[in-house]
Amino acid sequence: MLAKSVIEDVLTAALATGGDFSEVFLEDRYTNNLNLQGGKIENSLSGRDFGIGIRVFKGLQSVYTYTTDGSKEGLLKAARNAAHAISGETIIRPEPLKKEIITCAHSIAINPRETEKTRKVNVMKKAYEIAKNYHSSIQQVLVRYLDEEQNVLIANSEGKFIEDKRVRSRLVIQSIASDGKQMQPGVYGPGAHKGFEFFENLNLEHYANEASRIAVTMLGADPCPSGKFPVIIDNEFGGVIFHEACGHGLEATFVAKNNSVFANRMGEKVASDVVTYIDDGTIANEWGSITIDDEGEKARKNVLIENGILKGYLIDKFNGRRMGMESTGSGRRQSYRFAPTSRMTNTYIAEGKSTPEEIISNTDHGIYAKYMGGGSVNPATGDYNFAVMEAYLVKDGKIGKPLKGATLVGNGPETIKLVDMVGNNVAHGAGMCGSLSGSIPVNVGQPMIRVSEMTVGGSKEGE
Amino acid sequence: MNIQAFQQKLFEIGEQQGFTDMELYFERKEKFKCGLFKGEIDSYETSEIAGGSFRGLFNGKMGYAYTEKLDDDSLLYLVESAKENAQLIEEEVQEEIFRGSEEYQEGSFYSTELVKVTVPEKIELLKEIEKHIYAYDERVSGTDYFILESEESERYIINNKGLSLNERQNYIGMFITVVVKQGDETKTGAYVKATKDFSSFDPKEIATYAVEEALSKLNAQTAESKHYPVLLRNDAAGDLFQTFSGIFSAENAQKGRSKLKGMEGESIAAGALQLVDDPFLEDGLLSRSFDSEGVATMKKAVVKDGKLVTLLHNRKTASIAGVESTGNAYKGSYKGSLTVSPTNLYVVPSNKSREELTASVDEGILITDLAGLHSGADTISGDFSLAANGFLVKNGKIERTVKQMTIAGNFFDLLKNIEAIGSDLAFSMSNIGSPSLLIKELAVTVE
Repeated sequence: MLAKSVIEDVLTAALATGGDFSEVFLEDRYTNNLNLQGGKIENSLSGRDFGIGIRVFKGLQSVYTYTTDGSKEGLLKAARNAAHAISGETIIRPEPLKKEIITCAHSIAINPRETEKTRKVNVMKKAYEIAKNYHSSIQQVLVRYLDEEQNVLIANSEGKFIEDKRVRSRLVIQSIASDGKQMQPGVYGPGAHKGFEFFENLNLEHYANEASRIAVTMLGADPCPSGKFPVIIDNEFGGVIFHEACGHGLEATFVAKNNSVFANRMGEKVASDVVTYIDDGTIANEWGSITIDDEGEKARKNVLIENGILKGYLIDKFNGRRMGMESTGSGRRQSYRFAPTSRMTNTYIAEGKSTPEEIISNTDHGIYAKYMGGGSVNPATGDYNFAVMEAYLVKDGKIGKPLKGATLVGNGPETIKLVDMVGNNVAHGAGMCGSLSGSIPVNVGQPMIRVSEMTVGGSKEGE
Repeated sequence: MNIQAFQQKLFEIGEQQGFTDMELYFERKEKFKCGLFKGEIDSYETSEIAGGSFRGLFNGKMGYAYTEKLDDDSLLYLVESAKENAQLIEEEVQEEIFRGSEEYQEGSFYSTELVKVTVPEKIELLKEIEKHIYAYDERVSGTDYFILESEESERYIINNKGLSLNERQNYIGMFITVVVKQGDETKTGAYVKATKDFSSFDPKEIATYAVEEALSKLNAQTAESKHYPVLLRNDAAGDLFQTFSGIFSAENAQKGRSKLKGMEGESIAAGALQLVDDPFLEDGLLSRSFDSEGVATMKKAVVKDGKLVTLLHNRKTASIAGVESTGNAYKGSYKGSLTVSPTNLYVVPSNKSREELTASVDEGILITDLAGLHSGADTISGDFSLAANGFLVKNGKIERTVKQMTIAGNFFDLLKNIEAIGSDLAFSMSNIGSPSLLIKELAVTVE
């Protein structure tokens, strides 16, 4: 994608003012984005993103510059711009580049860029038909299709020179149910680090029906009561709660500056005994999986919390300097427009011993959150909030009537201590995660879990 | 390749491939961003980016494609991808390539003074602010975001129907989050502002604001969970309007995604509410003299005395509705397709200060910030349930800080339940602004 000699010149120019590390990240990405509304293709977008990011460190100082100008002059100018912000006396020369050949850990069978768009449209229409025909109250169905092929080249002054191709595919189905007065959405969005074969093997019946089922069920739901309840959170996308409540707080981005509630607590008990929390970028073909991170480090399985004890953080190169710790293969970014920082890949709570039936039958009065919506956290305080897309009342050990408009709020480090049951049915769900280095694909996951007490915000006063 | 050469070659190839009407939307952006942590420059970023979007009619259907690489490969990629995309489109009503408006009002969107501010001056400002932050109170433990950014951008629309427009814009923005600790309690306070006037940043004032904001959240106590009158502070009210701003889009209405469909002329809010869309605000983040399909923009009332005057239109939604475009066609960047967005949309302030509004509340909650807006709000039904911070107000006075809460309600009901509007219009870092709003009642749950 770029000649070795040009890269070496750029890395050298970036170090000309005394930096101690320089890096080049080149990205050439092809994306397709299609929208189907009311059974018709409404728009279809194709694009080529291209740009180069150059990063220079000097001690705990980091400089980043990026450009869409890929000419040698453009790159040297960008490197000089970056170097301009550094002033040091020792000028070091980059190590000679050694090309590392890697095999993609997530094999791709059908490249989406070489797949006719009419085949993509067929998948969307099939999903539309299934979702639309689920029930007479389904008023609208929106299907979004996206695929991308991201080609990256990463080289740095330590001699690293590595290339990677990441292919991802996703389908998002949104059904809207209506009774003439109210409109209620239901969404499901499966995705994978796969090519077009992902759609060919996808259980469309399941996902499209689920999107509609959620919308129809919630349309007839009662407003959720507010107050403090035991809350059962189901597997798969339910894991978003610990993604927000703990995952972000374990990122070096926040830990390095002591801005996380988990900073300086390695080896301490931070969660209840039944909680083991893992980030694993190596799981084959998952949505959040990577072969190498965006600093060229190999993906790995990082145990963050083991039986309640804090075992590790997610660390990138720069924050690793402040912490005196090595990278954990967690340096990620949305695109060349972002300097990488520590991020999650596929993060999940490991399997426990309880069956889902046991968890429900052991709950006298509480809330069952079957599908979670999105949420956010303030990593400094640990305060989080989540929308629950599909919720039910649990009474006398049985799942009761559906509830809508539920929000869960609380404090991450407190909540993770209150997990008292962990199920044996781990599953993963695809999502997009936004932070300092942009929006990236991640999986969240868990088995069914129960939290002994959570604050539920609803529009109905407490029961 | 320069943009003129690229555009000429692009239209040539497009014509050969069967496109009739064609447009190139081109944008370039220069950005500077710098962060400080304990006296040291902790992040420093500069960038120059450019990209173009091709849009054209093929067999009467509009196809799109974009690229950030302006080379020969991309010319072919744009035309071929746009052609393939056009052939998939099944919608009957199509966008058109526009010849241009009769007249374009001049605006002041680019400050030459701002360009003269040097990098050392920007860094010095951050250092000054940081000094004041740490000196202000010993409970300050650090900063989280501490960033200054400036941006300059230029947009071009060139089409084969004779239209050629371009416009420059710049601004400087500040994002600061201060972290304070007291015992087991950790709280944050933020300061956010975008402007064209560098001299309007007063280091002491900024530091005081952010630290006071964080300190005021300490000693949080519980309060009864029930329905309260709620005073939404200007920034929280602005955030809520931002979240629901899509309801004013004719595109959403026509697609059945806004309850305001067909409500023009009807009362949708309290009689005191005036909502204005003004593309010519000097510090406005979406100020512009032409919209993303080249239509001249205009200032207009969206809600007047509580009645919906108009939805926001681009040319396509206007032709479906049988009205004129309101100049609200919008593309997030060259990467997006044409949609509808407000320019700078705001609630017109009254003459009542926030203190006067507070004094009128017997028992209520003052909300200072909202979280979870991207997930806890359903823009179709209007239902929201959001995490919030704020204070308990009793007998017209702020009594105490309340622990994290959720506030729940419905935005369409809220519009009708606005009891009073403040004088303190603010935009923070958004194109949507509001003064403080007193709402008759919302469900409040305290953690």
